Amino acid sequence: MEKEELKQKIIEVIEKKIKIAGKSKVYLKDLQKDIPGVSPRDIKNAANELVREGKLEYFSTGSTVMFGIPGVGMGLEAGTEKPKEE
Amino acid sequence: MSEIKKHDTPLVDQLKTGPWPSFVDDIYIYAEKYKKQTCFDIMGQLELSYKNKETHWKHGGIVGVFGYGGGVIGRYSDQQEQFPAVWAFHTVRVHQPGGKWYHTSYLKKLCDLWDHRGSGIVNFHGSTGDIILLGTVTEQLEYIFFDLTHQLKQDLGGSGSNLRTPSSCMGKSRCQWSCIDTMAIEYELSMEFQDEIHRPSFPYKFKIKVSGCPIDCVAAIARADLSIIGTWVDDIRIDQEAVRAYVGGELKPGGNSHSDRDWGPFDIKKEVIELCPTQCMYWDENEKKLYINNKECNRCMHCMAVMPEALWPGTDTGATILMGSKAPILEGAQLSSVIVPFMRMEPPYDELKEVTRKAWDFWMEVGKNRERLGELIQRIGLNRFITEVLGLPAVPQHIREPRSNPYVFWKEEEVPGGWTRDAAEFRKRHPA
Amino acid sequence: MEEKVVMPDPIYSEPYDPTLAEKLYNPAKPMENRITDIGPPHYSQFLPPIIQKNYGKWKSHLILQAGVMKYTSETGDVVYVVRCGTPRLETTDYIREICEIADKYCDGYVRWTTRNNVEFHVTSEEKLKALMEDLKNRKHPNGSYKFPIGGTGAGVSNIVHTQGWIHCHTPATDASGVVKAVLDELFEYFGSQKLPAKTRLALACCLNMCGAVHCSDIAILGIHRKPPLIEDDRLEYVCEIPLVIASCPLGAIRPATVEVGGQKRKTVRINLERCMFCGNCYTMCPALPLSDGEGDGIAILVGGKISNRISPPKFSKLVIPYIPNEPPRWPTTVQWVKKILETYAKYAKKYERLGDWAERIGWERFFELCEIPFTDKCIDDYRLAYDTYRTSMHFKFTSHIEIK
Repeated sequence: MEKEELKQKIIEVIEKKIKIAGKSKVYLKDLQKDIPGVSPRDIKNAANELVREGKLEYFSTGSTVMFGIPGVGMGLEAGTEKPKEE
Repeated sequence: MSEIKKHDTPLVDQLKTGPWPSFVDDIYIYAEKYKKQTCFDIMGQLELSYKNKETHWKHGGIVGVFGYGGGVIGRYSDQQEQFPAVWAFHTVRVHQPGGKWYHTSYLKKLCDLWDHRGSGIVNFHGSTGDIILLGTVTEQLEYIFFDLTHQLKQDLGGSGSNLRTPSSCMGKSRCQWSCIDTMAIEYELSMEFQDEIHRPSFPYKFKIKVSGCPIDCVAAIARADLSIIGTWVDDIRIDQEAVRAYVGGELKPGGNSHSDRDWGPFDIKKEVIELCPTQCMYWDENEKKLYINNKECNRCMHCMAVMPEALWPGTDTGATILMGSKAPILEGAQLSSVIVPFMRMEPPYDELKEVTRKAWDFWMEVGKNRERLGELIQRIGLNRFITEVLGLPAVPQHIREPRSNPYVFWKEEEVPGGWTRDAAEFRKRHPA
Repeated sequence: MEEKVVMPDPIYSEPYDPTLAEKLYNPAKPMENRITDIGPPHYSQFLPPIIQKNYGKWKSHLILQAGVMKYTSETGDVVYVVRCGTPRLETTDYIREICEIADKYCDGYVRWTTRNNVEFHVTSEEKLKALMEDLKNRKHPNGSYKFPIGGTGAGVSNIVHTQGWIHCHTPATDASGVVKAVLDELFEYFGSQKLPAKTRLALACCLNMCGAVHCSDIAILGIHRKPPLIEDDRLEYVCEIPLVIASCPLGAIRPATVEVGGQKRKTVRINLERCMFCGNCYTMCPALPLSDGEGDGIAILVGGKISNRISPPKFSKLVIPYIPNEPPRWPTTVQWVKKILETYAKYAKKYERLGDWAERIGWERFFELCEIPFTDKCIDDYRLAYDTYRTSMHFKFTSHIEIK
């Protein structure tokens, strides 16, 4: 699979997960499962490139990292509210 | 700037006394000197935790700076009204220089940066080895990164499902036992695998540690998915004159490691020969000479540690490559297992990089989410990992003892005639 | 051959410019002026000239007294090292004070060990004397030493530890406070060499063990004993339920719908029998707090080691399953650690590590000598537990056995 095609496919997989399962972030492993036949290395390189292009963003689970579409679902600072400046 | 708000911290204050360095005194003095609300609030929140014995931090999804999937740990207070200055209190992991050697020009500049952009509180160092800058807000992250890279020529470390910051012992810089150039190996691997350190690549975390000898000062065998430990294959070097000096009491055993208790005069038989786990040593009382049957030595190094002026590792050196150690989550704690009993360690360390990449490729393909390499090896079997995944021959050094069950998973091609059998032929021999 | 000494990059001597980053970083064009993937500064520039010159040529070491070492090179060069414990959690001013010392005595070079000690290097005995005198006199206002000398040979190591309540979101205990309390009590063992062997102490504030303590002579481990609290009324607003479910490494979380005040709310339920208290779900969802003042506390594990010296590396074993949190000084934890250490010191042979001693005398004798009550909690029922069962007649009749 060409890199651009793979990147498109990654976005599709994530968008589909948002629509069907209401799940806005995925692990590399989830991408692998849904894009069979492509090497995990190519998938991670493509996903990381999408982050550089601003089309995806990372989300830390502490010990691992997930990928999501910026602005969709639980944000980086969900559950936290910046106190108002005095 | 609004007025500084201080909190009463009677419980935390009790940690100001006692002989061990008090972080409470340190942080309060700093807070007063620079009128830093963050430091007062962090002490206030700690006091609250001391009162109700519960943490007051929450996690956030922040992972790093633009394009990086690691290096920053997001942290938020659940006491935002009471301690607004620590409502966000993120950690920045900074990739420590090799062997944790520093020049003060570097350190002072880093301190200036952190006073300006963070809480002024640090860890030297975090558990994995990084310098930890403790406590800043989201808005400062990019500026911190720009300061680090432009003004300190310094990159971030790893977190999440990235390669974590590799670390090594001080190696040849100050230790006579180091069989390999640990700092050079760590630097080379760190540079080779920059992409893996900064961007998520794996099912879970992956740690690399390099120790110069089997004493293993960085705990490579217990704390790294890939443990590189220096070793030697030739004979232990002996200075018989110095051995005699130990026996005669002129030199202090253990480099004087037991100085503050009277253990009696040094007894080479009791303290070295009989403690040798392979019983490969012999002290000839008449000849006043130490003999070592080097072939039987398992390189535990006890004799060298007791007589550091008399014995040294051989000069034909390399490393043993082990894999798979981890803390207990999830399948239980593991120590690393021997994978390559001996590997030469010459730059650019291609063989090491190759075996690492092979293990990674397999783990990325077959590993489950949150499955450490050690757990994967257990799941598929060490034998399969060594022979099929890495393409290495199985040797007795891979095991402590052979299996005690006969449940070998024979492969079809290993059995003459394969697994397809002719029922008619069988029934000719065994009428139903 | 005389090799050229590598000096620190001159960029470090230029003053920090607090305005530079604002000029370079453009939020609209985040890649502009961005430097990435440069790794750490090369270590060679931070090595003192004497270390550069004798790199790979060191011949032997001698401990002059606890915390003070003399290294001799085959070139005849000598370097003296003074090792000092640090609290690890410290301020930039503490680091600056280290710099001031290093500038005064060590030409600006300094190093840290893997166990949070700082090391100063000098090349003459006069400087060594002056340095040690100086270090001894540096104290915090309430009397604690800033730079206690020790941590070598047959003493207790500085405690490697995690963040605890100062910075972690899933700790079951504090870290820096417990460490301070324990080391205040064991202070004399850090600054002396009177134990049978090196005794490495470690603390991790929950079982995720980001400070892997599983191979320490004495390990202090924070443990949770209550599963996460589920805030049904709030959960669906602050958490993404599919992500919460995916976050559990044991697959113990399932979606649920419950009624709260007459309203249907989407939430989750946890299979309590499977929960290992790792806190991954709290990481993903602030409506699942794990901390609990009554439930949380400390476990003590002993007998692990990492060195291959004499015996192979081994895991620490659980001997005290639970001690309540007692801030600010954790007296029960401190007393047990001290009791174990001093019992070991009294009975073990020279060079015998704590775990080797316990194995030699038998764990039943260990419990007896240390006066630790043995309970069923010390019998493993996790994976591969069978490995730890007694399957021989080789045991001792200690006080645990009532002979009628």
